[in-house]
Amino acid sequence: MGRYIIRRVLWVIVVMIVVTFLAFLVFYVLPSSKPENSFVGKAPTPELIAQVRKDLGLNHPAIVQYGLFVKRLFLGDKYGWPGLGFSYNTKSPIRDELISRFWVTFGLALGAAIIWLFLGILIGTISALRRRSALDRGAMGFALLGVSTPVFFLGILWLFVFWKTLHWIPGTGYVHLTSDPVGYFTHMISPWIVLALLFAAIYARVVRGNMLDVLSEDYIRTARAKGLTERRVVIKHALRAALTPVVTLFGLDFGILFGGAVVTEKVFNLPGLGNYILDAAFQLDIPVALAVTTVTALVVAIMSLLVDIAYAYLDPRVTDS
Amino acid sequence: MRGKGLIAAIAVAGVTVGLAACGGGGGSGGNSSNASGTVAKGGTYRMATQDFGFTGAFDPSAEYLGWAFDLYGNLLIRTLLSFNHTAGAPGNVLVPDLATSVPTPTNNGLTYTFKLKQGVKFGPPVNRAITSKDIAFAMQRIATPSVAAQYGFYYVPVIKGMAEFQAGKAKTISGIQTPDNQTIVFNLTRPTGDFLNLVALPASGPIPQEVGKCFTQAGAYGRDVIASGPYMIQGSDKVNISTCSSIKPMSGYNPTQRLSFVRNPNYDPATDSPKVREALPDSFVISIDTNAKDIFDKIGAGALEGSPDDPPADIISQYASNSSKKQFLKPNSADRTDFIYLNTTTPPFDDIHVRKAANFVMDKAALKLAWGGQIEGPVATHIVPSVMYKGGQFDPADYDPYPSPNNAGDVNAAKNEMKQSKYDSNKDGICDSSVCKQIFFMNRSVQAYPKMTPIIQSSLSKIGITLNPRELPTSPAYTQIQTPSKHIPIGANAGWGKDYPDPSTFLRTLFLGSNILPSGNTNYSLIGLTAGKAKQIGALYPAGGVPNVDAAIDKCTGETGDARNSCWIALDKQLMEQVVPWIPYQFRNNVDLIGAAVTKYDFDQSTGETGYAHVAVDPSKQSQ
Repeated sequence: MGRYIIRRVLWVIVVMIVVTFLAFLVFYVLPSSKPENSFVGKAPTPELIAQVRKDLGLNHPAIVQYGLFVKRLFLGDKYGWPGLGFSYNTKSPIRDELISRFWVTFGLALGAAIIWLFLGILIGTISALRRRSALDRGAMGFALLGVSTPVFFLGILWLFVFWKTLHWIPGTGYVHLTSDPVGYFTHMISPWIVLALLFAAIYARVVRGNMLDVLSEDYIRTARAKGLTERRVVIKHALRAALTPVVTLFGLDFGILFGGAVVTEKVFNLPGLGNYILDAAFQLDIPVALAVTTVTALVVAIMSLLVDIAYAYLDPRVTDS
Repeated sequence: MRGKGLIAAIAVAGVTVGLAACGGGGGSGGNSSNASGTVAKGGTYRMATQDFGFTGAFDPSAEYLGWAFDLYGNLLIRTLLSFNHTAGAPGNVLVPDLATSVPTPTNNGLTYTFKLKQGVKFGPPVNRAITSKDIAFAMQRIATPSVAAQYGFYYVPVIKGMAEFQAGKAKTISGIQTPDNQTIVFNLTRPTGDFLNLVALPASGPIPQEVGKCFTQAGAYGRDVIASGPYMIQGSDKVNISTCSSIKPMSGYNPTQRLSFVRNPNYDPATDSPKVREALPDSFVISIDTNAKDIFDKIGAGALEGSPDDPPADIISQYASNSSKKQFLKPNSADRTDFIYLNTTTPPFDDIHVRKAANFVMDKAALKLAWGGQIEGPVATHIVPSVMYKGGQFDPADYDPYPSPNNAGDVNAAKNEMKQSKYDSNKDGICDSSVCKQIFFMNRSVQAYPKMTPIIQSSLSKIGITLNPRELPTSPAYTQIQTPSKHIPIGANAGWGKDYPDPSTFLRTLFLGSNILPSGNTNYSLIGLTAGKAKQIGALYPAGGVPNVDAAIDKCTGETGDARNSCWIALDKQLMEQVVPWIPYQFRNNVDLIGAAVTKYDFDQSTGETGYAHVAVDPSKQSQ
């Protein structure tokens, strides 16, 4: 088991090197635009262009820039550790901003995850137990709707109904948990629900399918034959087995949300990582784009690592392969 | 300068940020009060934007965004001279601000002496009187290479000794003297008719050396700008300036989330004029909202008072078509010209008759509709917006060298021009040369630019010119056309706005041959290109040469007063009739949408943005 974990950790390091290198290539080497043009005014002199390139660190060859990026990442820079440099646009350190936004996205992902796991498992289980009933069909109809409704549409519709028309919720924006816990909750409940509906629909379908498979297994029949209560059969034996693939799914989905909740963050005006990288990409704020990509990749890799370890714990055969 | 909502010459990719104070035409929204309440002091004026879009991290020495100029001049920074921050031609007139009067130059137009008002103080944490040395320090900062002043090119060649200071050959700027704390003298290298405008730009505003000396890198001072105007950045009073290392960013400015201004306790209205600044609200808050629709929904719901962003076309049409809502739309000339540029070095546009024919045949009315119609501004018939000329008038007011019925294009006149072209061998008014077929045409991929492509294609096809369109995001599109070695023959992706209210910021900046650069070039038509320079930068150079107006530009630059105005008008006409670098089609408006709680609104013509110095809000009408 120890060797297996070490192998997986080494693999994460390799993945991170590849990801940062590719991201560096994409953001620094391939762009057809010149970031310095955004900071030299309308009628720039060659001297000013050279000065701004120097200021942005673009005067070095690309490979040197990559080397400096990796060095600062591991050893830190003048803004602290890890060294993520400064934003072209704001001339402010990325590190502090990224940490602040990380917690916004973490809060969004965590709140939504709780809701989607609860709804997904509940609906999936009930649908499996009441197969082909009106409840099952209604639940699966909900799942289909959730999967096929884009978040931006659902978000705008949600705001139209509950903010603009009914005035049940406050408008968009973000309130810090520490400064106003109630405000945090009232502002986050909408993005949590909207984001969770999409995932809940997917999870409900997965759980239903797994439950149906498991419920037809011999050991379930045996459990029932032994006289266990239906409640005990379902919760202790069937659901437990049916949820194992969900653990894998959840680990990856949760990690991906750190860079992938961009639409929800945009619609609900949340200062999270998704918004940060999207704006950075549009504004050619390359250090920010690179930093967020690196952090997002790291979170996904760590979540994947945790899933692998959990699997190895549940099924030791994995470590042999 | 670059402005919010309108895309600038050198813009940031994909973001609705651009050249602000641009082009002409009249508007109707400035200087008005709503019927919704009485004008009173107090309250918070709340705004949201998708992105601040600052080009110099809000450091006044480097910042080039039109909306930033607006915040500085209306709220935060006083300069030797300023404007009344009001709409129309009166808003483009220079008035004293820190100076006691607008000086008359002496020494054959080479010397300007300013006397400073007594009793004007910096805001917290500096809390001391502003002196002439604080302005001299700001000028030194403009010439400090590491600060990367984005419009330093206006000052360096004009003020004596500034170039030497910039090159590190002098420790002070010899052309700037401060004989006492209330006097500053500028000695120029040449008579410069628009010099007074330069001391009204934010970079020339006073910077206390004890703070400014701590920020030597580009943009670094932007989070600790010391106020001299009626408002300061929130948290200014909490900043410890005892040492450079103790200075932390002011809490009211987070570049990715929020910018808040509160009253500067050291501001004395007696040293200012209510015509320049009324300073009615107690505070201004600008938040980042990444959802454009949400911003305008909130303005409509009274949860915001405005936005520096342009309302989308559907919002404009929704308000414009509703008589009760129309009052909340405020269109005003942004002093910006939208145009199709024609590269005079590439066939077929190296032939003036083709360029004239293209002007005649263009359906400007359809292009206007693509932008949203009349509310976006009037049809352009020359280069510089009329409102930038004296009295807000071109001479004659109805000037149009390429007239057509309803501005829809005159095919017959276009064919008559084309017949005179070397590219129409059978003289039927249709270009029959292969150089007229599938010409590369550059445009932006963001609305409303793509809507124009088929209109331009259809118009030019009537004289035998067919286009091969390429649409790119804003920044890459600019990069292409700003590189003369790319030989882009025609494009509609560019626009231009003023830096300050003087035609030189169009005519000198855009058409001076010596300004042509190998990259970052904004003389898109390459007017004034020489054979030697063409070779040097990889541009084409046609056998018949390229028109040159450098001498006329230099003549106008040295003029002052009415002679200067007439000179620029004559050059504008010369360009339109004898050079023909563009097809100007629109003097673009800035359209503001305001909330129901706004009880007084004005437009700052000098910056092409909202005149925050004169707005007021009624807190009882605000919603959350």
